[in-house]
Amino acid sequence: MLFIMKILAFDTSNKPLTVAVVEDGKCLARMDSSELKTHSVSLLPDIQESLETAGLSVNDIDRIAVADGPGSYTGVRIAVTVAKTLAFTLDKPLVGISSLRLLAADGTDDKLVVALEDARNDNAFAGAYIKKSGEVVNVIEDQHISMSRLFEKLSNYPAEQIQFVNASEHLAELINEAMPKASVVLTKDSLPDAVKLAQIAENAEPVKDINAFVPTYLRLTQAEHDWIEKGHKEDGNISYVEEI
Amino acid sequence: MKKDTLILSFESSCDETSVAVIKNGKQILSNIIATQIKSHQRFGGVVPEVASRHHVEEITVCIQMAMDEAEVDYDDLDAVAVTYGPGLVGSLLIGIMAAKTVAFAHDLPLIKSNHLAGHIYSANFVTDLEYPFMALLVSGGHTELVYVKAPGEFETLGDTRDDAVGEAYDKIGRVLGINYPAGKEVDRLAGIGKDTFDFPRAMVQEDNLDFSFSGLKSAFINTVHHADQVHEELSKEDLAASFQGAVLDILANKTFRAIKTHPVKQLVVAGGVAANQGLRSRLASEVAKRNDDIELVFPPLRLCGDNAAMIGAIAQIQYDKKDFADLTVNADPSLDF
Ligand SMILES: [Zn+2]
Repeated sequence: MLFIMKILAFDTSNKPLTVAVVEDGKCLARMDSSELKTHSVSLLPDIQESLETAGLSVNDIDRIAVADGPGSYTGVRIAVTVAKTLAFTLDKPLVGISSLRLLAADGTDDKLVVALEDARNDNAFAGAYIKKSGEVVNVIEDQHISMSRLFEKLSNYPAEQIQFVNASEHLAELINEAMPKASVVLTKDSLPDAVKLAQIAENAEPVKDINAFVPTYLRLTQAEHDWIEKGHKEDGNISYVEEI
Repeated sequence: MKKDTLILSFESSCDETSVAVIKNGKQILSNIIATQIKSHQRFGGVVPEVASRHHVEEITVCIQMAMDEAEVDYDDLDAVAVTYGPGLVGSLLIGIMAAKTVAFAHDLPLIKSNHLAGHIYSANFVTDLEYPFMALLVSGGHTELVYVKAPGEFETLGDTRDDAVGEAYDKIGRVLGINYPAGKEVDRLAGIGKDTFDFPRAMVQEDNLDFSFSGLKSAFINTVHHADQVHEELSKEDLAASFQGAVLDILANKTFRAIKTHPVKQLVVAGGVAANQGLRSRLASEVAKRNDDIELVFPPLRLCGDNAAMIGAIAQIQYDKKDFADLTVNADPSLDF
Protein backbone atom coordinates (compact mmCIF):
# COMPACT_ATOMS: atom_id res chain seq x y z
CA MET A 1 0.00 0.00 0.00
CA LEU A 2 1.19 3.46 -0.81
CA PHE A 3 2.03 5.56 2.21
CA ILE A 4 0.46 9.00 2.05
CA MET A 5 2.20 11.45 4.31
CA LYS A 6 0.23 14.04 6.25
CA ILE A 7 2.31 17.02 7.31
CA LEU A 8 1.57 19.85 9.71
CA ALA A 9 3.75 22.82 8.77
CA PHE A 10 4.10 26.29 10.27
CA ASP A 11 6.33 29.34 10.26
CA THR A 12 6.43 32.38 12.55
CA SER A 13 9.97 33.51 11.86
CA ASN A 14 8.83 36.93 10.68
CA LYS A 15 5.70 39.08 10.69
CA PRO A 16 3.51 36.72 8.66
CA LEU A 17 2.17 33.62 10.32
CA THR A 18 1.47 30.64 8.12
CA VAL A 19 0.09 27.22 9.04
CA ALA A 20 -0.86 24.37 6.69
CA VAL A 21 -1.96 20.77 6.75
CA VAL A 22 -0.72 19.02 3.62
CA GLU A 23 -1.41 15.48 2.44
CA ASP A 24 0.67 13.97 -0.33
CA GLY A 25 1.66 17.43 -1.52
CA LYS A 26 -1.92 18.69 -1.55
CA CYS A 27 -3.16 21.39 0.80
CA LEU A 28 -5.99 20.25 3.10
CA ALA A 29 -6.07 23.44 5.13
CA ARG A 30 -4.09 26.58 5.48
CA MET A 31 -4.21 29.76 7.53
CA ASP A 32 -2.17 32.86 6.89
CA SER A 33 -2.04 36.20 8.55
CA SER A 34 0.18 38.99 7.38
CA GLU A 35 -1.20 41.48 9.88
CA LEU A 36 0.61 42.32 13.05
CA LYS A 37 -0.91 39.57 15.15
CA THR A 38 0.88 38.17 18.14
CA HIS A 39 2.31 34.82 17.08
CA SER A 40 2.43 33.54 20.66
CA VAL A 41 -1.33 34.09 20.89
CA SER A 42 -2.38 32.87 17.43
CA LEU A 43 -0.16 29.90 16.64
CA LEU A 44 -1.82 27.12 18.68
CA PRO A 45 -5.41 28.23 17.88
CA ASP A 46 -4.46 28.41 14.18
CA ILE A 47 -2.93 24.92 14.30
CA GLN A 48 -6.07 23.65 16.01
CA GLU A 49 -8.35 25.28 13.44
CA SER A 50 -6.27 24.04 10.48
CA LEU A 51 -6.48 20.48 11.74
CA GLU A 52 -10.24 20.82 12.22
CA THR A 53 -10.65 22.16 8.68
CA ALA A 54 -8.58 19.25 7.39
CA GLY A 55 -10.77 16.88 9.38
CA LEU A 56 -7.77 15.44 11.19
CA SER A 57 -6.70 14.93 14.76
CA VAL A 58 -3.16 15.94 15.66
CA ASN A 59 -2.46 12.24 16.18
CA ASP A 60 -3.14 11.61 12.47
CA ILE A 61 -0.18 13.79 11.49
CA ASP A 62 2.85 11.87 10.22
CA ARG A 63 5.38 14.67 10.29
CA ILE A 64 5.84 18.16 11.72
CA ALA A 65 7.66 20.79 9.68
CA VAL A 66 8.87 24.15 10.93
CA ALA A 67 10.90 27.04 9.57
CA ASP A 68 13.76 27.18 12.06
CA GLY A 69 15.43 30.50 11.23
CA PRO A 70 17.17 32.77 10.72
CA GLY A 71 14.59 35.44 11.48
CA SER A 72 13.13 37.34 14.39
CA TYR A 73 14.68 35.64 17.44
CA THR A 74 11.45 35.56 19.40
CA GLY A 75 9.39 34.64 16.34
CA VAL A 76 11.58 31.69 15.44
CA ARG A 77 11.63 30.49 19.05
CA ILE A 78 7.82 30.45 19.21
CA ALA A 79 7.45 28.12 16.21
CA VAL A 80 10.48 25.99 17.09
CA THR A 81 9.31 25.50 20.69
CA VAL A 82 5.85 24.42 19.54
CA ALA A 83 7.24 22.14 16.81
CA LYS A 84 9.80 20.51 19.05
CA THR A 85 7.40 20.04 21.95
CA LEU A 86 4.71 18.64 19.66
CA ALA A 87 7.12 16.20 17.99
CA PHE A 88 8.53 15.22 21.39
CA THR A 89 5.25 14.76 23.22
CA LEU A 90 3.53 12.82 20.38
CA ASP A 91 6.67 11.03 19.26
CA LYS A 92 6.41 12.28 15.67
CA PRO A 93 9.18 12.98 13.16
CA LEU A 94 10.27 16.62 13.03
CA VAL A 95 11.82 18.50 10.12
CA GLY A 96 13.42 21.94 10.37
CA ILE A 97 13.74 23.98 7.18
CA SER A 98 15.68 27.19 6.78
CA SER A 99 13.41 30.25 6.87
CA LEU A 100 15.45 31.65 3.96
CA ARG A 101 14.95 28.49 1.90
CA LEU A 102 11.23 28.82 2.49
CA LEU A 103 11.27 32.43 1.28
CA ALA A 104 13.36 31.40 -1.75
CA ALA A 105 10.76 28.77 -2.60
CA ASP A 106 8.52 31.65 -3.65
CA GLY A 107 11.11 32.99 -6.10
CA THR A 108 11.13 32.67 -9.89
CA ASP A 109 12.27 29.39 -11.47
CA ASP A 110 15.85 29.25 -12.78
CA LYS A 111 16.80 32.58 -11.23
CA LEU A 112 19.40 32.82 -8.50
CA VAL A 113 17.02 33.66 -5.67
CA VAL A 114 18.68 35.51 -2.80
CA ALA A 115 16.47 35.40 0.28
CA LEU A 116 17.09 38.21 2.73
CA GLU A 117 16.20 39.28 6.20
CA ASP A 118 17.22 42.73 7.28
CA ALA A 119 19.64 42.45 10.23
CA ARG A 120 20.08 46.24 10.54
CA ASN A 121 23.18 48.41 9.99
CA ASP A 122 23.38 47.37 6.31
CA ASN A 123 23.62 43.71 7.29
CA ALA A 124 21.35 40.86 6.37
CA PHE A 125 20.73 37.22 6.96
CA ALA A 126 21.05 35.94 3.42
CA GLY A 127 21.10 32.67 1.49
CA ALA A 128 21.06 32.03 -2.27
CA TYR A 129 19.00 29.28 -3.89
CA ILE A 130 18.09 28.04 -7.35
CA LYS A 131 14.69 26.50 -8.00
CA LYS A 132 15.00 23.59 -10.40
CA SER A 133 12.20 21.20 -11.21
CA GLY A 134 10.46 21.69 -7.90
CA GLU A 135 13.64 21.49 -5.83
CA VAL A 136 15.05 24.51 -4.00
CA VAL A 137 18.82 24.01 -4.22
CA ASN A 138 21.15 25.94 -1.95
CA VAL A 139 23.97 27.81 -3.74
CA ILE A 140 25.31 30.21 -1.10
CA GLU A 141 24.74 29.03 2.44
CA ASP A 142 22.66 31.03 4.90
CA GLN A 143 24.76 33.54 6.77
CA HIS A 144 24.83 36.83 8.60
CA ILE A 145 26.62 39.13 6.17
CA SER A 146 27.12 42.79 5.31
CA MET A 147 25.32 43.81 2.12
CA SER A 148 28.58 44.98 0.51
CA ARG A 149 30.17 41.58 1.13
CA LEU A 150 27.05 39.89 -0.23
CA PHE A 151 27.27 41.96 -3.44
CA GLU A 152 30.90 40.85 -3.83
CA LYS A 153 29.89 37.21 -3.46
CA LEU A 154 27.21 37.66 -6.10
CA SER A 155 29.46 39.47 -8.56
CA ASN A 156 30.17 36.22 -10.46
CA TYR A 157 26.53 35.92 -11.44
CA PRO A 158 24.86 38.02 -14.14
CA ALA A 159 22.83 40.62 -12.26
CA GLU A 160 19.74 40.18 -14.45
CA GLN A 161 19.66 36.51 -13.37
CA ILE A 162 19.48 37.47 -9.69
CA GLN A 163 16.25 37.93 -7.79
CA PHE A 164 16.30 39.24 -4.23
CA VAL A 165 13.29 38.29 -2.13
CA ASN A 166 12.03 39.61 1.20
CA ALA A 167 14.03 42.82 0.90
CA SER A 168 13.17 45.61 3.34
CA GLU A 169 12.78 49.08 1.80
CA HIS A 170 16.25 49.92 3.00
CA LEU A 171 17.91 46.78 1.62
CA ALA A 172 16.07 47.36 -1.68
CA GLU A 173 17.69 50.80 -1.91
CA LEU A 174 21.15 49.29 -1.38
CA ILE A 175 20.44 46.63 -4.02
CA ASN A 176 19.22 49.22 -6.55
CA GLU A 177 22.44 51.14 -6.09
CA ALA A 178 24.81 48.16 -6.26
CA MET A 179 23.00 45.85 -8.70
CA PRO A 180 20.43 47.90 -10.59
CA LYS A 181 19.74 45.07 -13.04
CA ALA A 182 18.74 42.56 -10.36
CA SER A 183 15.07 42.16 -9.57
CA VAL A 184 13.76 42.77 -6.06
CA VAL A 185 10.68 41.48 -4.25
CA LEU A 186 9.92 43.58 -1.20
CA THR A 187 9.09 42.14 2.22
CA LYS A 188 5.43 43.06 1.89
CA ASP A 189 5.20 40.88 -1.23
CA SER A 190 7.32 38.00 0.09
CA LEU A 191 4.97 35.81 2.04
CA PRO A 192 6.20 32.49 3.43
CA ASP A 193 3.87 29.68 2.47
CA ALA A 194 3.43 26.74 4.85
CA VAL A 195 2.20 24.56 1.98
CA LYS A 196 5.58 24.99 0.31
CA LEU A 197 7.24 24.38 3.67
CA ALA A 198 5.45 21.03 3.90
CA GLN A 199 6.40 20.14 0.34
CA ILE A 200 10.09 20.84 1.00
CA ALA A 201 9.89 18.97 4.31
CA GLU A 202 8.38 15.86 2.75
CA ASN A 203 11.71 14.88 1.19
CA ALA A 204 13.95 16.24 3.94
CA GLU A 205 15.71 14.22 6.61
CA PRO A 206 13.95 14.37 10.01
CA VAL A 207 15.79 15.72 13.04
CA LYS A 208 17.77 12.97 14.82
CA ASP A 209 17.68 14.38 18.34
CA ILE A 210 14.51 16.35 19.02
CA ASN A 211 15.73 17.49 22.45
CA ALA A 212 18.76 19.14 20.84
CA PHE A 213 16.70 20.91 18.18
CA VAL A 214 17.07 24.71 18.47
CA PRO A 215 16.60 27.68 16.14
CA THR A 216 19.29 28.58 13.63
CA TYR A 217 20.02 32.10 14.83
CA LEU A 218 23.22 32.52 12.75
CA ARG A 219 24.32 35.11 15.29
CA LEU A 220 25.60 35.09 18.83
CA THR A 221 23.77 37.27 21.32
CA GLN A 222 25.34 40.70 21.85
CA ALA A 223 26.38 39.68 25.37
CA GLU A 224 28.21 36.56 24.17
CA HIS A 225 29.78 38.48 21.31
CA ASP A 226 31.12 41.14 23.69
CA TRP A 227 32.30 38.48 26.13
CA ILE A 228 34.35 36.76 23.42
CA GLU A 229 35.67 40.15 22.20
CA LYS A 230 37.09 40.63 25.70
CA GLY A 231 39.27 37.60 25.07
CA HIS A 232 37.15 34.96 26.79
CA LYS A 233 36.94 31.57 25.16
CA GLU A 234 34.17 29.04 25.17
CA ASP A 235 35.30 26.14 27.30
CA GLY A 236 33.85 23.01 25.78
CA ASN A 237 33.96 21.31 29.17
CA ILE A 238 31.70 23.78 30.93
CA SER A 239 28.01 23.12 30.83
CA TYR A 240 26.23 26.45 31.18
CA VAL A 241 22.97 24.87 32.16
CA GLU A 242 22.85 22.35 34.98
CA GLU A 243 20.14 20.31 36.52
CA ILE A 244 19.96 20.97 40.27
CA MET B 1 -13.30 9.11 47.79
CA LYS B 2 -11.92 12.08 45.91
CA LYS B 3 -9.77 11.19 42.97
CA ASP B 4 -6.16 12.38 43.00
CA THR B 5 -5.27 15.30 40.75
CA LEU B 6 -1.99 15.27 38.82
CA ILE B 7 -0.78 18.51 37.29
CA LEU B 8 2.18 18.86 34.93
CA SER B 9 3.53 22.34 35.60
CA PHE B 10 5.99 24.62 33.81
CA GLU B 11 8.08 27.56 35.04
CA SER B 12 10.48 29.54 32.83
CA SER B 13 10.08 33.16 33.92
CA CYS B 14 13.77 33.97 34.37
CA ASP B 15 16.89 31.79 34.21
CA GLU B 16 15.56 28.44 35.40
CA THR B 17 13.76 25.97 33.17
CA SER B 18 11.60 23.82 35.41
CA VAL B 19 8.96 21.16 34.90
CA ALA B 20 7.19 19.30 37.73
CA VAL B 21 4.48 16.73 38.33
CA ILE B 22 2.46 17.61 41.42
CA LYS B 23 -0.18 15.49 43.13
CA ASN B 24 -3.13 17.31 44.72
CA GLY B 25 -1.06 20.50 45.03
CA LYS B 26 0.66 18.93 48.01
CA GLN B 27 2.99 16.19 46.91
CA ILE B 28 5.99 16.59 44.60
CA LEU B 29 6.30 13.57 42.30
CA SER B 30 9.06 15.32 40.37
CA ASN B 31 10.49 18.83 40.18
CA ILE B 32 13.19 19.14 37.54
CA ILE B 33 15.12 22.42 37.64
CA ALA B 34 17.73 23.33 35.01
CA THR B 35 19.55 26.46 36.11
CA GLN B 36 21.47 28.77 33.79
CA ILE B 37 23.44 30.52 36.54
CA LYS B 38 26.82 29.47 35.14
CA SER B 39 25.96 30.95 31.77
CA HIS B 40 24.83 34.33 33.11
CA GLN B 41 27.77 34.54 35.51
CA ARG B 42 29.85 35.25 32.40
CA PHE B 43 27.98 38.54 32.08
CA GLY B 44 27.46 39.41 35.76
CA GLY B 45 23.68 39.09 35.55
CA VAL B 46 20.83 37.55 33.60
CA VAL B 47 20.91 38.42 29.87
CA PRO B 48 17.35 37.97 28.55
CA GLU B 49 18.24 36.80 25.02
CA VAL B 50 20.72 34.24 26.37
CA ALA B 51 18.10 33.04 28.88
CA SER B 52 15.48 32.55 26.15
CA ARG B 53 17.93 30.52 24.06
CA HIS B 54 18.77 28.22 26.96
CA HIS B 55 15.07 27.63 27.69
CA VAL B 56 14.55 26.27 24.15
CA GLU B 57 17.55 23.96 24.61
CA GLU B 58 16.23 22.57 27.89
CA ILE B 59 12.46 22.46 27.64
CA THR B 60 11.75 18.99 26.26
CA VAL B 61 14.55 17.40 28.29
CA CYS B 62 12.93 18.79 31.43
CA ILE B 63 9.49 17.47 30.42
CA GLN B 64 10.98 14.05 29.78
CA MET B 65 12.78 13.96 33.12
CA ALA B 66 9.74 15.22 35.04
CA MET B 67 7.46 12.58 33.51
CA ASP B 68 10.03 9.79 33.96
CA GLU B 69 10.86 10.65 37.56
CA ALA B 70 7.15 10.89 38.47
CA GLU B 71 6.58 7.60 36.62
CA VAL B 72 3.47 8.96 34.94
CA ASP B 73 2.09 8.95 31.43
CA TYR B 74 0.09 11.70 29.73
CA ASP B 75 -3.09 9.68 30.35
CA ASP B 76 -2.49 10.01 34.09
CA LEU B 77 -2.44 13.82 33.98
CA ASP B 78 -5.43 16.03 34.82
CA ALA B 79 -4.10 19.42 33.73
CA VAL B 80 -1.12 21.40 32.47
CA ALA B 81 -0.12 24.60 34.30
CA VAL B 82 2.31 27.34 33.38
CA THR B 83 3.69 30.61 34.72
CA TYR B 84 2.47 33.45 32.48
CA GLY B 85 4.01 36.33 34.45
CA PRO B 86 5.66 38.28 35.85
CA GLY B 87 9.10 37.72 34.36
CA LEU B 88 11.18 38.14 31.23
CA VAL B 89 8.87 38.00 28.22
CA GLY B 90 11.19 35.90 26.02
CA SER B 91 11.74 33.41 28.84
CA LEU B 92 8.07 33.19 29.81
CA LEU B 93 7.09 32.48 26.21
CA ILE B 94 9.07 29.23 26.01
CA GLY B 95 7.27 27.67 28.99
CA ILE B 96 3.94 29.05 27.75
CA MET B 97 4.32 27.69 24.20
CA ALA B 98 5.50 24.30 25.48
CA ALA B 99 2.68 24.05 28.04
CA LYS B 100 0.04 25.05 25.48
CA THR B 101 1.43 22.46 23.06
CA VAL B 102 1.31 19.62 25.60
CA ALA B 103 -2.21 20.64 26.69
CA PHE B 104 -3.37 20.77 23.06
CA ALA B 105 -1.65 17.51 22.03
CA HIS B 106 -3.12 15.53 24.93
CA ASP B 107 -6.41 17.38 25.22
CA LEU B 108 -5.76 18.51 28.81
CA PRO B 109 -7.10 21.61 30.54
CA LEU B 110 -4.62 24.48 30.70
CA ILE B 111 -4.04 26.68 33.74
CA LYS B 112 -2.16 29.98 33.65
CA SER B 113 -0.54 30.81 36.97
CA ASN B 114 0.98 33.85 38.59
CA HIS B 115 4.66 33.37 39.46
CA LEU B 116 4.34 35.37 42.70
CA ALA B 117 1.38 33.28 43.83
CA GLY B 118 3.48 30.23 43.04
CA HIS B 119 6.29 31.40 45.33
CA ILE B 120 3.83 31.89 48.18
CA TYR B 121 2.29 28.44 47.67
CA SER B 122 5.68 26.73 47.86
CA ALA B 123 4.72 26.78 51.57
CA ASN B 124 1.95 24.31 50.75
CA PHE B 125 4.60 21.57 50.58
CA VAL B 126 5.68 22.34 54.15
CA THR B 127 2.49 22.76 56.12
CA ASP B 128 -1.30 22.95 55.87
CA LEU B 129 -2.04 26.58 55.15
CA GLU B 130 -4.64 28.25 57.36
CA TYR B 131 -6.44 31.31 56.08
CA PRO B 132 -5.89 34.15 56.36
CA PHE B 133 -2.08 34.03 56.38
CA MET B 134 0.67 36.55 55.71
CA ALA B 135 3.39 36.12 53.10
CA LEU B 136 6.68 37.97 52.85
CA LEU B 137 7.86 37.47 49.30
CA VAL B 138 11.52 38.32 48.87
CA SER B 139 13.52 37.64 45.71
CA GLY B 140 15.70 39.18 43.01
CA GLY B 141 12.62 40.65 41.37
CA HIS B 142 10.18 41.21 44.22
CA THR B 143 9.77 42.42 47.79
CA GLU B 144 6.14 42.27 48.83
CA LEU B 145 3.95 41.73 51.84
CA VAL B 146 0.91 39.79 50.73
CA TYR B 147 -2.19 39.03 52.78
CA VAL B 148 -3.75 35.77 51.63
CA LYS B 149 -7.40 35.90 52.64
CA ALA B 150 -8.58 32.63 51.17
CA PRO B 151 -7.21 30.04 48.74
CA GLY B 152 -5.85 31.98 45.76
CA GLU B 153 -7.05 35.38 47.05
CA PHE B 154 -4.25 37.86 47.48
CA GLU B 155 -4.01 41.42 48.72
CA THR B 156 -0.70 43.26 48.38
CA LEU B 157 -0.15 45.29 51.56
CA GLY B 158 3.34 46.55 50.78
CA ASP B 159 5.71 46.61 47.85
CA THR B 160 9.17 47.95 47.11
CA ARG B 161 9.36 51.51 45.84
CA ASP B 162 12.69 50.90 44.08
CA ASP B 163 15.00 47.87 44.11
CA ALA B 164 13.90 44.39 45.03
CA VAL B 165 15.82 43.12 48.04
CA GLY B 166 17.66 40.41 46.06
CA GLU B 167 18.62 43.01 43.49
CA ALA B 168 20.14 45.15 46.25
CA TYR B 169 22.22 42.15 47.38
CA ASP B 170 23.52 41.68 43.83
CA LYS B 171 24.40 45.35 43.46
CA ILE B 172 26.33 45.66 46.72
CA GLY B 173 27.85 42.24 46.05
CA ARG B 174 29.35 43.62 42.85
CA VAL B 175 31.01 46.40 44.89
CA LEU B 176 32.49 43.73 47.18
CA GLY B 177 33.75 41.81 44.16
CA ILE B 178 31.20 39.00 44.52
CA ASN B 179 29.74 37.63 41.29
CA TYR B 180 26.00 37.36 40.70
CA PRO B 181 24.03 35.94 42.44
CA ALA B 182 25.63 37.50 45.52
CA GLY B 183 23.03 36.77 48.19
CA LYS B 184 24.51 33.57 49.54
CA GLU B 185 28.06 34.94 49.91
CA VAL B 186 26.91 38.23 51.46
CA ASP B 187 24.81 36.21 53.91
CA ARG B 188 27.89 34.10 54.80
CA LEU B 189 30.11 37.16 55.31
CA ALA B 190 27.38 38.86 57.35
CA GLY B 191 27.34 35.85 59.67
CA ILE B 192 31.01 36.50 60.49
CA GLY B 193 31.05 40.32 60.64
CA LYS B 194 29.54 42.97 62.92
CA ASP B 195 27.02 45.71 62.14
CA THR B 196 29.43 48.65 62.65
CA PHE B 197 28.49 51.05 59.83
CA ASP B 198 24.93 51.84 60.89
CA PHE B 199 23.47 52.23 57.40
CA PRO B 200 20.07 53.95 57.08
CA ARG B 201 16.89 51.94 57.69
CA ALA B 202 14.66 53.51 55.07
CA MET B 203 11.00 54.07 55.83
CA VAL B 204 10.87 52.11 59.06
CA GLN B 205 9.41 55.22 60.74
CA GLU B 206 6.71 55.55 58.12
CA ASP B 207 3.30 54.09 58.70
CA ASN B 208 2.93 52.37 55.34
CA LEU B 209 4.09 48.83 54.56
CA ASP B 210 6.25 49.66 51.56
CA PHE B 211 9.96 48.99 51.26
CA SER B 212 12.90 50.94 49.88
CA PHE B 213 16.44 49.70 49.44
CA SER B 214 18.03 52.20 47.08
CA GLY B 215 19.06 54.59 49.88
CA LEU B 216 20.73 51.74 51.74
CA LYS B 217 22.45 50.60 48.57
CA SER B 218 23.74 54.14 47.86
CA ALA B 219 24.98 54.57 51.43
CA PHE B 220 26.84 51.29 51.13
CA ILE B 221 28.42 52.15 47.79
CA ASN B 222 29.40 55.66 48.99
CA THR B 223 31.06 54.22 52.09
CA VAL B 224 33.14 51.80 50.02
CA HIS B 225 34.07 54.43 47.42
CA HIS B 226 35.08 56.94 50.04
CA ALA B 227 37.30 54.37 51.74
CA ASP B 228 38.86 53.54 48.35
CA GLN B 229 39.69 57.20 47.79
CA VAL B 230 41.47 57.58 51.12
CA HIS B 231 43.07 54.14 50.69
CA GLU B 232 41.39 52.77 53.73
CA GLU B 233 40.75 49.03 53.94
CA LEU B 234 37.26 48.18 55.19
CA SER B 235 36.25 44.80 56.55
CA LYS B 236 34.13 43.01 53.98
CA GLU B 237 32.55 41.00 56.75
CA ASP B 238 31.52 44.12 58.68
CA LEU B 239 30.22 45.77 55.52
CA ALA B 240 28.14 42.70 54.72
CA ALA B 241 26.88 42.44 58.32
CA SER B 242 25.95 46.14 58.33
CA PHE B 243 24.11 45.87 55.02
CA GLN B 244 22.29 42.73 56.04
CA GLY B 245 21.52 44.21 59.47
CA ALA B 246 19.73 47.13 57.83
CA VAL B 247 17.89 44.84 55.39
CA LEU B 248 16.69 42.57 58.19
CA ASP B 249 15.55 45.52 60.31
CA ILE B 250 13.50 46.86 57.41
CA LEU B 251 11.98 43.47 56.53
CA ALA B 252 11.19 42.54 60.13
CA ASN B 253 9.76 45.96 60.98
CA LYS B 254 7.33 46.03 58.06
CA THR B 255 6.38 42.38 58.37
CA PHE B 256 5.35 42.58 62.02
CA ARG B 257 3.66 45.90 61.43
CA ALA B 258 1.53 44.12 58.79
CA ILE B 259 0.75 41.28 61.17
CA LYS B 260 -0.40 43.79 63.77
CA THR B 261 -3.03 45.27 61.46
CA HIS B 262 -3.87 41.92 59.84
CA PRO B 263 -3.70 39.22 62.52
CA VAL B 264 -2.76 35.80 61.18
CA LYS B 265 -1.69 32.40 62.44
CA GLN B 266 0.98 31.79 59.83
CA LEU B 267 3.79 33.82 58.30
CA VAL B 268 5.11 32.38 55.04
CA VAL B 269 8.48 33.60 53.81
CA ALA B 270 9.07 32.78 50.14
CA GLY B 271 11.27 33.63 47.16
CA GLY B 272 15.01 33.32 46.59
CA VAL B 273 15.96 35.55 49.55
CA ALA B 274 13.97 33.26 51.87
CA ALA B 275 17.07 31.04 51.64
CA ASN B 276 19.01 33.72 53.58
CA GLN B 277 20.16 32.29 56.93
CA GLY B 278 20.25 35.71 58.58
CA LEU B 279 16.61 36.32 57.62
CA ARG B 280 15.56 32.88 58.85
CA SER B 281 17.07 33.29 62.30
CA ARG B 282 16.00 36.92 62.65
CA LEU B 283 12.33 36.22 61.95
CA ALA B 284 12.44 33.15 64.20
CA SER B 285 13.79 35.18 67.11
CA GLU B 286 11.26 38.00 66.48
CA VAL B 287 8.42 35.50 66.62
CA ALA B 288 9.79 33.97 69.83
CA LYS B 289 10.32 37.42 71.37
CA ARG B 290 6.79 38.56 70.60
CA ASN B 291 5.31 35.42 72.07
CA ASP B 292 2.82 35.51 69.19
CA ASP B 293 1.14 32.27 68.38
CA ILE B 294 2.49 32.40 64.84
CA GLU B 295 3.78 29.52 62.78
CA LEU B 296 6.76 30.65 60.74
CA VAL B 297 6.88 28.79 57.43
CA PHE B 298 10.03 28.66 55.33
CA PRO B 299 10.01 26.46 52.24
CA PRO B 300 13.04 24.17 51.91
CA LEU B 301 15.95 25.80 50.05
CA ARG B 302 15.20 23.97 46.80
CA LEU B 303 11.72 25.48 46.72
CA CYS B 304 12.85 29.06 47.51
CA GLY B 305 14.29 29.67 44.05
CA ASP B 306 12.20 29.47 40.92
CA ASN B 307 10.71 26.03 40.36
CA ALA B 308 7.68 24.43 38.74
CA ALA B 309 6.51 22.58 41.86
CA MET B 310 5.26 25.84 43.34
CA ILE B 311 3.30 26.48 40.12
CA GLY B 312 1.68 23.07 40.52
CA ALA B 313 0.63 24.06 44.06
CA ILE B 314 -1.16 27.30 43.08
CA ALA B 315 -2.50 25.63 39.93
CA GLN B 316 -4.29 23.03 42.07
CA ILE B 317 -6.35 25.81 43.67
CA GLN B 318 -7.19 27.15 40.21
CA TYR B 319 -8.03 23.62 39.07
CA ASP B 320 -10.48 23.20 41.94
CA LYS B 321 -12.10 26.53 40.96
CA LYS B 322 -12.14 25.44 37.29
CA ASP B 323 -10.13 28.54 36.48
CA PHE B 324 -8.93 27.32 33.08
CA ALA B 325 -7.25 29.18 30.24
CA ASP B 326 -7.48 28.65 26.49
CA LEU B 327 -4.78 28.31 23.85
CA THR B 328 -4.49 32.08 23.37
CA VAL B 329 -2.58 32.56 26.66
CA ASN B 330 0.20 35.08 26.30
CA ALA B 331 3.03 36.24 28.55
CA ASP B 332 2.32 39.12 30.93
CA PRO B 333 5.79 40.33 31.98
CA SER B 334 4.54 42.87 34.55
CA LEU B 335 1.73 40.79 36.05
CA ASP B 336 0.93 41.52 39.71
CA PHE B 337 -1.80 40.29 42.03
ZN1 LIG C 1 10.80 34.03 41.31
